[in-house]
Amino acid sequence: MTTTDATAVERQIAMVLDLNKCLGCQTCTVACKKLWNRDSGTGYAYWNNVETQPGQGYPRRWQETGGRTADGAVKRGEIPALDTDYGRAWTFNHEEVRTGVGGGAGKPWLRPDGQPQWGPNWDEDRGAGEHPESNHYFYLPRLCNHCTHPACLDACPRRAIYKRREDGIVLVDQDRCYGYRFCVEACPYKKVFFDPQRNVSTKCIFCLPRIEEGVAPACARQCPGRLRFVGYLDDPAGPIWKLVEKWKVALPLHPELGLGPNVFYVPPVGPVAFDGAGRLVEDAPRIPNELLERLFGPRVHEALRTVREERARRRRGEPSELMDLLIAYDWNQSFRLPVRAREVL
Amino acid sequence: MTTRRSLTLTAAPPALSPGGYVPRAYADRVTPTTARVDFAAGEEGGAWTVALSWHAPRPVRALDGDPARFLDAAALLVPTTEAAQAMTMGAAEDPVEGILWRADGERPLRITATGWGTVVRQAAPAEWAADARWQDGFWYLTFRVGAWAPLARFRRLAVAIWQGAERERAGLKSVTPVWIQLP
Repeated sequence: MTTTDATAVERQIAMVLDLNKCLGCQTCTVACKKLWNRDSGTGYAYWNNVETQPGQGYPRRWQETGGRTADGAVKRGEIPALDTDYGRAWTFNHEEVRTGVGGGAGKPWLRPDGQPQWGPNWDEDRGAGEHPESNHYFYLPRLCNHCTHPACLDACPRRAIYKRREDGIVLVDQDRCYGYRFCVEACPYKKVFFDPQRNVSTKCIFCLPRIEEGVAPACARQCPGRLRFVGYLDDPAGPIWKLVEKWKVALPLHPELGLGPNVFYVPPVGPVAFDGAGRLVEDAPRIPNELLERLFGPRVHEALRTVREERARRRRGEPSELMDLLIAYDWNQSFRLPVRAREVL
Repeated sequence: MTTRRSLTLTAAPPALSPGGYVPRAYADRVTPTTARVDFAAGEEGGAWTVALSWHAPRPVRALDGDPARFLDAAALLVPTTEAAQAMTMGAAEDPVEGILWRADGERPLRITATGWGTVVRQAAPAEWAADARWQDGFWYLTFRVGAWAPLARFRRLAVAIWQGAERERAGLKSVTPVWIQLP
């Protein structure tokens, strides 16, 4: 059953990502890409990407080009450019390297054809700050937030985007979509893509066929760092409710936009900064609080405080439900998804 | 008999677009990107021919795999009831239908609608055709639609033009503000 009324969902599926554990290995990116976007029309599209923050991200300047102002009002968004914002899917000189022909005097190196101007991991590990006192970065994996009030849904004049009533997953009805791309413009997370081969919008489907089998999305299941948790927001026995509602350490990205994202992040605690003499400065976080507040809102301070306190509790040898959960000793505990639609049980 | 006119177009009001985004994001879009279109329509042996030409300084004829490109396009609309309105793309009880040409060279499409956001595109009847050429900054487009019952009955037409270079699509278009009444 489907609905275009975003508030009419029966349950909301959600994901939590612990940024303290992300290695930036892109296994999630590859798992998603190989599963869903291998055809030429979406060669440039990454439903899941991992970007370095602070940074311009993917698509480039996504935090500036969406269809919402900083206080959540509608503004005209931008459609990212293929070459300078997304980055065209690269091709490489494999044949030249294989045969050794055409590379000039020396052995040819593997290199992309043409002159790429941007890509999904273009500014990896650059970060900000001054080495060694304050240089910093962390990895931010991003996917569709399956918002409670999706900007993409609001933008589609054809009502081709809807939230599934049973789990709140935001989907594009590609039979209704005529490729107008207001959804691409409006999404402030820039997580709706356009397939110019098929003239339709595409986006993360939260690995819908896997969810219906009780299996976590590929990005979550393949994560070597075990940083992703998947379940329902209203399930007090599941990891999502505990991290979001009980412990309040998992926060949505850019909550000020008012869309109600259902992907949540445990913010990175990060190490402390050095002073000029190379001594640790305990009260000076290396990742500036302002950066984290800009991404995750003012509640980030409380979340960081809770994580630090629970870490300290653990170090003292005391029990901590939160740390046990975040450590994810048994990955099966990270996902709590009932089998819902298996045809053969 | 052939009717020839130079028509003044207006920007279709974004406020009519369904959803919360387009009416607000494009509220300032009040000037048509295509101000005028030369129009000629005639019926011969029950078959209709409609010719349009308009200024298009930067024609877009292919997406070239680019998610930020939009095609030039044009459409004719006709009412299927006496009360059907062009500006609203018809209504539930008063549908409109038409023919849509896009500059990618594909066959034209038959469209039907019962209000904004309801357009349904279908393969056009075999006898429907659209021949276009771009020259010196202008599109010259001729629709040949054979016998077209609602046009023969009501003898009214509306025109819409989309400039791809201006990222026009859907309700972002230049249109004739009222039906063109044919003699």
